[in-house]
Amino acid sequence: MNVRLLNAGLAHWRQARTLTLLTVCGVALGVASVVCIQTLNLGALAAFGGGVKAVSGEADLVVLGQGPDLAESVYPAVLAESGVAAAWPLVRAWVRVERRPATYLEILGVDVFAPVSFPVRLGGEGLARFDGLLAEPGWIALTPEFARELDLAVRDTLSVATGDRTVGLVIGALVDFRAHAPLASAKLGLMDISQAQSWFGRRGRVSQIDVKVAAGRRPADVAAALERALGPGVRVLTPDQRAQDATGLLAAFRLNLTALSLISVLVGVFLIFSAVHASLVRRRRDFGLLRSLGASRGQLLGMILLEVALLGLAGTALGLPLGFVTARQNVDAVSATLTSIYLLSEIEQLTLPPLLVAIAVAVGLGGALLGALLPALDIARRDPVALLGAAGLPERLSRLAPRFALAGLVLVAAVVAWYAGGGRRLKESGFVLAFFLMVVLPLLTPLFLRELCGRLPPGGFGWRLGLRGLASRLQSTSFAVAALAVTVAMLVGITLLIGSFRATLDTWIQDTLQADIYVTGASWDRDHGATWLSEEVVALLAGFDGVRAADRQRRISGRTTDGRALRLAAFRRTGEAGPRQLSRVPLLAGDPERVERALRDDGACVITEPLARHAGLAVGDTLRLAGADGPVPLPIAGIGYDYSTEGGLVFLGWPTLDAVYGPGGTSSLALTLARDRDVDATLDAMRAALAGRAVELRSNRRLRAEVLDIFDQTFAVTRILQAMALVIAVAGVSLTLLIMGRERATEFALYRSLGATRRQLVRLGLGEGAGLGLLGFALGLAGGAVLAAILILLINRDWFGWTIRFELPASDLAVQAAWILAGALAAAVYPALRSSRTPVAELTREDLL
Amino acid sequence: MPAPTAHATMARMQRPLLEFRDVARAFGGRTVLSGVSFRLDRGESLSMVGRSGSGKSTLLHLAAGIDLPTRGEVVLDGTPLSPLSDRNRSLLRRRCVGLVFQFFHLLPHLSVADNVCLPGWVAGDPPRATRERARELLAQVALSDRAGDPAGKLSGGEMQRVALCRALLRRPPLVLADEPTGNLDEAAGRQVMDLLRQLTRDADAGLLFVTHSREQAALAGTVLRLRDGRLEAVA
Repeated sequence: MNVRLLNAGLAHWRQARTLTLLTVCGVALGVASVVCIQTLNLGALAAFGGGVKAVSGEADLVVLGQGPDLAESVYPAVLAESGVAAAWPLVRAWVRVERRPATYLEILGVDVFAPVSFPVRLGGEGLARFDGLLAEPGWIALTPEFARELDLAVRDTLSVATGDRTVGLVIGALVDFRAHAPLASAKLGLMDISQAQSWFGRRGRVSQIDVKVAAGRRPADVAAALERALGPGVRVLTPDQRAQDATGLLAAFRLNLTALSLISVLVGVFLIFSAVHASLVRRRRDFGLLRSLGASRGQLLGMILLEVALLGLAGTALGLPLGFVTARQNVDAVSATLTSIYLLSEIEQLTLPPLLVAIAVAVGLGGALLGALLPALDIARRDPVALLGAAGLPERLSRLAPRFALAGLVLVAAVVAWYAGGGRRLKESGFVLAFFLMVVLPLLTPLFLRELCGRLPPGGFGWRLGLRGLASRLQSTSFAVAALAVTVAMLVGITLLIGSFRATLDTWIQDTLQADIYVTGASWDRDHGATWLSEEVVALLAGFDGVRAADRQRRISGRTTDGRALRLAAFRRTGEAGPRQLSRVPLLAGDPERVERALRDDGACVITEPLARHAGLAVGDTLRLAGADGPVPLPIAGIGYDYSTEGGLVFLGWPTLDAVYGPGGTSSLALTLARDRDVDATLDAMRAALAGRAVELRSNRRLRAEVLDIFDQTFAVTRILQAMALVIAVAGVSLTLLIMGRERATEFALYRSLGATRRQLVRLGLGEGAGLGLLGFALGLAGGAVLAAILILLINRDWFGWTIRFELPASDLAVQAAWILAGALAAAVYPALRSSRTPVAELTREDLL
Repeated sequence: MPAPTAHATMARMQRPLLEFRDVARAFGGRTVLSGVSFRLDRGESLSMVGRSGSGKSTLLHLAAGIDLPTRGEVVLDGTPLSPLSDRNRSLLRRRCVGLVFQFFHLLPHLSVADNVCLPGWVAGDPPRATRERARELLAQVALSDRAGDPAGKLSGGEMQRVALCRALLRRPPLVLADEPTGNLDEAAGRQVMDLLRQLTRDADAGLLFVTHSREQAALAGTVLRLRDGRLEAVA
């Protein structure tokens, strides 16, 4: 490649500043979307993986129970296994920091007498700083970072809540656990195991036993031997296998966000195509000259692609930090989703690993080159005479419009046939359909524009003349409208999904949450069912003045025999309504009365829809739970709607749950008041009676609001992606109008020569911007409706397993339409002003007939 | 378009339609026109000849109010152009001037009739009257049967006839033509020139055209030559 030629090419981009800026922005925003999502995805996985590493970093194997914990009596049996060089039990407890409602601390109870070092390194001072660990009640080591956040120092008291109890811990030392596991949470505390068992109600139980395998033994062999020796009540995993649990758990969540971020890249590619095409058309005579002077097609192609690659790199350099900053700004929302929906650790640190930088460069460069390839090939394949003459792409695109549309329709038919003919068995089939929808929309755009706008009678110097102008410049307008249509389809599709999902959820909440007051312990949603409300509190509330009925719920984490993680819940009612197993779980399949009886008398269960879909289970089938003492087959009596967890939930009779996992307490309590009772007044009275207890009391109204808040938070990142795609599409509108203004300079000069004022030309330009916006919206609306159907009926069911009822969120869509049109209009202001200043001297050009 | 009163008509008849008073135009340090003075009345025709770069197109731009002189004054229909805002010059041009270009400048995505209607649309004239006037003009240039065709399907001579119709749509008192036959063969050029003269004569409009052809220039009542930016009469 001749450097002087390349410099000459880059000089053009330096002069065409707006074009360059928009190209770089197209790449930057696409890269930013991908970087933002992948940073959050990696952060989510690392948060879990980092936690595992911090706790079990030196372990080769981890022994876990089938329920939330296991009996400490297993420990000697683990040590007795010949392949075990060392083993140490751990208690892990999540507690809420008092007076900090949303701050949770994971406490690690360790055995200082275990025949190995601590699972976390203590630095050079070793145990010297830990002299109070055994002797001092409530002694805990915290990270310096967390202590700073709480404004506490060594010897200060840290009040935490677990179950319904508040306990005061003493900060004995500050230890930087991240020196050992950089991605570990800063919200990690360390204390003696027996103290942890005692303080957090885990007497005789441990959360896990970490194992160091003897030299020369393969961890897999030792794991198998341990599983044989310890029986079916335990699982033995490597730390990597545990981390993979999170990978599997988050697969659908991550895939959805990744797919959304790729739409921004696709829209960016359209923008780059438009910019490169405009640039090349402007320079076609230069290229003609080069070709006539002996430059080969390959040299021309190489030069153009190299120029674009440099712009792509510039866009990547901008997009990388932009994406990372966006990720940082949204980390709280994603963390909230991880903790509330997936019960995983929150993300505290985000990193930009070299692999992600490489992905960003690949996306930026690849997107730029992909966008530039067609126009570059088009220029390179022309002979010098054609290049030195007028450009021919406009006429060609207009002529090819029906063929593009036909190709789109054939593609639709082929993909639908593939889906109907067996493709639907593939879990990713919904994404395949959505992808092809996004490809088909641009293929339909030229004909849509040509037929809709090209046939409009102009009838005056107004919007219709502007729309006719759009149809006459298909080579520019098609790409802007297509990019906007793809974006609008995404916006509308996701808005319909979210609106429908929210309405469905709202209905489900109304059906499910019918009690007046809900009571939980402080950390019940974090500790996987290992802590519960004390019987004293339950009895006090169940017998409280005005309480008509109390539904206890026990909820714990468990697994099926094939390793599927799920949650299990059982209800028990006391009060005037009499015993009742199921507390208003709306059933998708199964007769409510029979289900009630089967749960009570036959030890049956009700599974939720996501579990039924993911595991392919139906009423009459058997669910095989991995119980504390081995596999437990449970007949499935019904399938219920549930939107609280993607992983699946199983409702059992209380005695059945006790039999499978051992007895346990009440995780939460739903209280129904007598009709004449005021909820708020009763809540106040209960709070007064429970003063000093770490009990969360929520009214029905507040709980519903919190659930919907969590729902809205879950889609916060989605909205950022939507906004990014919209910005790219609006930039595309602006770019198109600028290109059109340049290409139509003679036309505008003609209008000026005929007496058109600048204001008239500005109005014409704004009308064209609005026209582009409207056309993109119209096409995108149709695409969005189809995309919504794919998202709701296919992707959601295949990946999440929920039934979502279609709802039309009319006001949300109206607001979006207003934003899109306002965006298109705003994007048209600068090009319109610029076009209005076209001098009549441009009439010396020969662009018109 | 309201009918002018008798008094206003008389006043208009007495003043020149277009007057250049010692006009000069320079671009940067380069003087293109210098000391140009002439006048053109209604019903008169004036041709301008000169070599390439002699300032002919600049003179036409000044006459149309598209450009302003560096010195001197251009007066169109009694109105000095220099003090006017861009908007008012546009409005004056809309009312008083019809322009014909060497490269026709028809919009390819519009029909023949729509191209003719364009000045009426820009001015906001009633659509039906505009359409009627376009039809009338197309009949005069024998293009009635092509009114609905896309402009791109016409021959060069036909396109220039359409451009003539467009220039005369709003009955401007002044028609400015920049080498109207420069892009046509001899026969088509002659036909267009005849039509241009006939249509402007019928409309009692003044005609100022620029040409390279001595033969066509001689068809005008007055022939002026531009040489190095200065005007000289041709015998």
